[in-house]
Amino acid sequence: MRFAAAVLAIAAPAGVLWDLGGDGSARSASVDFQREIRPLLSDRCFACHGPDEKARQGERRLDLREDAIAQNQGVRAIEPGAPDRSELLRRVEAEGEDAMPPRDSGRKPLTAQERALLRRWIEQGADYAPHWAFVAPAKPAVPAVRQASWCVNEIDPFVLSRLEAEGLAPSARASAATLARRLTLDLTGLPPTPEQTAELEAANTDAGVARFVDKLLASPSYGERMAADWLDLARYADTYGYQADAHRRVWPYRDWVIGAFSENMPYDEFVVKQLAGDLLLSATESDRLATAFQRLHRQTNEGGSTEEEFRVEYVADRVHTFGTAFLGLTLECARCHDHKFDPITQEDYYSLFAFFQNIDEAGCYSHFTDATPTPALDLPSPEQAAALAAARAGVERAEADLQRAEREGEVRFEQWSKSHRAVPAGRGPVARYPLTSIRDGKFENLVNPQMPGLAAPALKCVEAAVPTGAKQALRFTGDDAATFPGVGEWTHTDPFSLALWMRAPEPSERAVLVRRSRAWTDAGSQGYELILDGGRLRWSLIHFWPGNAASVRCRQPIEPHQWTHVAVTHDGSGRASGLRVFVNGEPADLEVVRDSLTRPITGGDPGPPALGERFRDVGFKGGEICDLQFYDRCLPELEVHGLGGLKEVAQTPALELRAYLEAIDEPAARAREALRAARGALAKAQAEIPQIMAMAETAPQPCFVLSRGRYDAPNRARPVSARVPKALPPLEPGFPTNRLGLARWLTGGSHPLAARVAVNRLWMIAFGRGLVATPENFGSQGELPSHPELLDWLAVTFVESGWDVKAMLKRLVMSATYRQASASRPELAARDPQNRLLARYPSHRLSAEQIRDQALFASGLLVSKVGGPSVKPWQPPGLWEIGWGGSYQADEGEGRHRRSLYTYWRRTVPPPNLMLFDAAKREVCSARRQATMTPLQSLVLLNDPQFVETAQALAARAAASERGDGAHIAEAFARVCGRAPSEAEAKALLDLLQQERAAGAAHPMAAVCSVLLASDAAVMVR
Amino acid sequence: MSAEPLSWLASRRAFLGASAVGLGSMAFRALLGEGAGSVPTMDATHHRPRAKRVIYLCQSGGPSQIETFDWKPELSKRRGEPLPESVRRGQRLTGMSGNQAILPLVGSMAKFARHGKCGAWVSDLLPRTASIVDDLCIVKTMATDAINHDPAITFLCTGAEQAGRPSMGAWLAYGLGSSNENLPSFLVMCTAKPADQPLYARLWGSGFLPSEHQGVQLMPGQDPVLYLTNPADVSRESRRRQLDALGALSADQFAREGDPEILSRLAQAEMAFRMQMSVPEAADLSAEPQEVFDLYGADSRKPGTYARHCLLARRLAERGVRFIQILHPGWDHHGDLPSGMVTQCRETDQASAALVIDLKRRGLLEDTLVLWGGEFGRTSYSQGPLTAANFGRDHHPRCFALWMAGAGVKGGLQWGETDELCYNIANPERDAVTVHDLHATMLHLLGIDHTKLTYRYQGRDFRLTDVFGTVRRELLA
Repeated sequence: MRFAAAVLAIAAPAGVLWDLGGDGSARSASVDFQREIRPLLSDRCFACHGPDEKARQGERRLDLREDAIAQNQGVRAIEPGAPDRSELLRRVEAEGEDAMPPRDSGRKPLTAQERALLRRWIEQGADYAPHWAFVAPAKPAVPAVRQASWCVNEIDPFVLSRLEAEGLAPSARASAATLARRLTLDLTGLPPTPEQTAELEAANTDAGVARFVDKLLASPSYGERMAADWLDLARYADTYGYQADAHRRVWPYRDWVIGAFSENMPYDEFVVKQLAGDLLLSATESDRLATAFQRLHRQTNEGGSTEEEFRVEYVADRVHTFGTAFLGLTLECARCHDHKFDPITQEDYYSLFAFFQNIDEAGCYSHFTDATPTPALDLPSPEQAAALAAARAGVERAEADLQRAEREGEVRFEQWSKSHRAVPAGRGPVARYPLTSIRDGKFENLVNPQMPGLAAPALKCVEAAVPTGAKQALRFTGDDAATFPGVGEWTHTDPFSLALWMRAPEPSERAVLVRRSRAWTDAGSQGYELILDGGRLRWSLIHFWPGNAASVRCRQPIEPHQWTHVAVTHDGSGRASGLRVFVNGEPADLEVVRDSLTRPITGGDPGPPALGERFRDVGFKGGEICDLQFYDRCLPELEVHGLGGLKEVAQTPALELRAYLEAIDEPAARAREALRAARGALAKAQAEIPQIMAMAETAPQPCFVLSRGRYDAPNRARPVSARVPKALPPLEPGFPTNRLGLARWLTGGSHPLAARVAVNRLWMIAFGRGLVATPENFGSQGELPSHPELLDWLAVTFVESGWDVKAMLKRLVMSATYRQASASRPELAARDPQNRLLARYPSHRLSAEQIRDQALFASGLLVSKVGGPSVKPWQPPGLWEIGWGGSYQADEGEGRHRRSLYTYWRRTVPPPNLMLFDAAKREVCSARRQATMTPLQSLVLLNDPQFVETAQALAARAAASERGDGAHIAEAFARVCGRAPSEAEAKALLDLLQQERAAGAAHPMAAVCSVLLASDAAVMVR
Repeated sequence: MSAEPLSWLASRRAFLGASAVGLGSMAFRALLGEGAGSVPTMDATHHRPRAKRVIYLCQSGGPSQIETFDWKPELSKRRGEPLPESVRRGQRLTGMSGNQAILPLVGSMAKFARHGKCGAWVSDLLPRTASIVDDLCIVKTMATDAINHDPAITFLCTGAEQAGRPSMGAWLAYGLGSSNENLPSFLVMCTAKPADQPLYARLWGSGFLPSEHQGVQLMPGQDPVLYLTNPADVSRESRRRQLDALGALSADQFAREGDPEILSRLAQAEMAFRMQMSVPEAADLSAEPQEVFDLYGADSRKPGTYARHCLLARRLAERGVRFIQILHPGWDHHGDLPSGMVTQCRETDQASAALVIDLKRRGLLEDTLVLWGGEFGRTSYSQGPLTAANFGRDHHPRCFALWMAGAGVKGGLQWGETDELCYNIANPERDAVTVHDLHATMLHLLGIDHTKLTYRYQGRDFRLTDVFGTVRRELLA
């Protein structure tokens, strides 16, 4: 019976560990709220009687002592010392209607033991304690132990004291070969070479192990191994996810992570850079690159998506990732309502949301162009950076030259004025369309009759009374465009101007007047456009809206129903200051909407300029336009006055000078051309530089609690601003209220969660499982730490060390705890089958990446090259073709044999052989992988051509010598399993080799190597 | 050991129950998972099941209800008129037609007639389906929350719009396990054709459930399951010898380490060995008579077609596979709907009906639930220009049609009415069937209380139906 009790305890939820003895002898001891009561109340009661105000039943909450013991509707849920007067106890013991938890709640009734526990706790005074993880760790004293000689470092007394209390003995040291394999796999993700194994066998002392570990930590493979885990938290993938799941170039972030681990960047710095590298004083390109961490969430370009809906999803993903990766909290629960178990309110959630939404981003990435979604960071090669600097200098020179030419032009103007009365207009339009009639679907072009405009069939010209005297004008349907082939194919370095007469219907939120652009959100609005934005004209040059654009908007709305002359100009600078809008000849009062354009505006096959409609945008329904003109130069103000038959406007000398410089002065014209060429060269240099999505802070944007978490239900009565959850320590005064302040708050050293969550993950790297077995959840529903004092000691020590990751890992793997043998013993199998007490080393399966990398490495096929674009090793054909993915083109050459963290990760069709070994799906932040066992895994190891190839290569490598079958088998065995085979193992494999040979198999030794790769000794770290 | 019948999950349980280690099954289940969370919550059903298995014919892209099951003569009468605001009531449209200046109503391009004893209206695009309406429960008032494909089909297949939740089949594999030790309990087949919408692995993924519950894709071609086939130069005998050697290594390792997982892994390898026979056997149609191919249509001779997959689904159902999901893309008719619907219906009508007929005559329909439907419906107005011969329809989440047949479903029922313009459900309180309701009802038929099939993840007990869903007993016999 004793045996059964122990086993049952393991199957129960958190807290079981403490019942390990299972004999009930500890029952009279004082009840520990933290370990025994809170998990119980949290699991069965808090959903309806906990932090979530909306879900709370009967205004009764049990997560706060003062509420639980208060008189409420005539009863006390808990009366300390008096279980029989405590409603809580009565209800959990009741049957029928009164029973708690209600029988239809889906929550399990309390067991007799649990009820007894509650009773004793109330008898003892019903003391509460704050949830352990919300209280900052203090450094506990290292406990005294009887068997002090067993210990190597401070970790060991914490483990051993618990074992001694349970009457369990730790295990003997693992053999040097076992330790060598454990260390190389845990720290570098690769098996040991026979030479490495021999090295440790020759010096299996503390000093020898330390040297061995130092070498591993210094190897480039260490950074790769550490990065592989971090990429799960970063939900790293080479595609956007969602529907089309297109390619994106984000591998430089992956390489940043590898580099950060390799150079042993302190963990606090590692975190600060990824959260707020862009906000650091004198942030470097590398600091900014780190912030790509926050842009790796899934993104959509599905046609017809509501942009705001997905923007909210992206920000929410950043909040969830922040919660899982750094706080170990499930913040996502508080998106729609207060958290049901942890003290995180919905307002807390949106207050965090307010930190992460202040970037110039769009909810959709561009389908028609390859623009990097903004904010985007340039990542130039050294050559590109040099070319860019040279091109910039060229533009500056050309700008200075133009200024000089124009200054000197004043003198020439004075000379010229003596013999001339008025400045004539400059070069005329390159195209002019009256738009008063449609013939055969065409609009007349007064400048070039061979190049008419084209009308969609539904368009008509209607009667109009235009101030110019025109009697007809083009009327728009909103769904049909007038297009003008052969003109207007300008980019952001070209000076150009447009002019037209327009008459707007009733103001609408938005209407497209002129655009040269393929689409709205589907193309990131790339192109140039003149639109009505809330009734006001907005004139823009756009690479990707909103973060890479120059855009100005009139402060005054356009009068509806009035014929209005509109001219817009661009001086070729690509800057907001180079954009002007003239309404009825007068320069309009403008506000700058965006001024961040750096890249071309002509991508995505924009077609010719068009009026009145754009793909999936709001057309100029019911609006009218006539007399459309295109100029391939930036019209000076004086000339705009004269356009379209406007009445004469007083000429001033300054305006005349501008017009002279534009129309007459040759040196100025030459300087303008030179500047245009220099800008073209700069644009070209810029366009060649690859980009990556990163963070770049804007001013704080308004933030509201979203009702039920829905993007379209902001609760205007509940505005929030950036702050940290109230249940956690406040932001220190003096910290900025932005992501940088948040990152400093997290890494300030006294944060209750940050260091614990971090060391718990490092523990997982060495031991396969965390001290907190739910690394993603340190909250009330998470599992309690198996060794709480050890966790705290490690967390505080980690901070004291300056968050030194390598030092912490070294401390973990140097410990006697780590260096134990893994073999089970009957008393351990019976009393601690999950090995939570660590009386032996906790064996764990290799990760998906490690299983493949080990095979490649052992066989000699692995290409050890750090970083670079992701690679496409062989995979079964036809998988991408099921969706939209085009076809998977497997790499030839080294791409077949790189480490698996470089394998191209397509979210909707991830690499199947990695997925079958429980690789994270990379759709959302994930702090833990499962270790399942399925028949398909065996099929991968034995049949996947990638593994068959490694088996053959390993066979060839092992059999290269003339030493005979036994030696060949021993070598292959050592390369994969890191040790010599036992007699039984050697015999089984030799038998197989001989049988295969006898059967005439094509590759007898490869058959042996396949078995090796599929064996327990290969796939487990023991 | 290799002769023992072992299921994917039960194998380890059974094996250990009988093994020398002597641990009980509870211990074994504890060993299965890393934490308490991964221990399956149930071994058996909550009540007597009507269905033992599900075949889900997933029509990806969103088939038009107006051209299939929801006859709206009024729409044809008012062809070209704008959708009245009194009907739309400001409800959101997609960005694809949301900014269209006019939303012109357009009626069905297909002709409707009444069929069967029940007199159900079915369009002439689906003549074979029309012939079995007395076996179908046609729900005309399905409603979903999502308006774009990715969130909508993710919702339909996993119960949540966001990625990361387990799919329907994974929940069943987790909850019920397999009834055939030699086949996966959840198999997936995707029609091999150019897709208008991608089919993502997440639609049959395991989400946060242990990945052993993910759907296994059955592929056309030589490897019906990925990596199933031995390398060209490895014979079955050779593989047997490899597994024997692996067994010897495992026994030796077990003697040293005492870890029961060693033996479990070996059992999985043995299961794989049996699958190498059982999967090709299930996928081998050579013993099927001509009459069967005639029933499913000529396409059923071609690997990768919908018809082939329907026939395979019947074979898999016979062999006890728990959840069979067929995904057929091509229903996303934003434009060219008239020609598109003809093609899609031609590809699916005969085989869908044949599957129901075939299951019925073999006595399998009694305990097999067949589901047909997509992620949403289509608008009653034309997306893009409405011309004499051509038009398109945008996504429409507010009402759409699907059908169910078999185990415990009320045959001959047409459930619910939409308004005369097929825009809203006429009486949503009474008639609307949500995606959560569909899931709850499906689980109910399988003997599962949808509120009790839970899995603890991140400290919360998750369900396929989240915190929603009502079993729609009106649809059940």
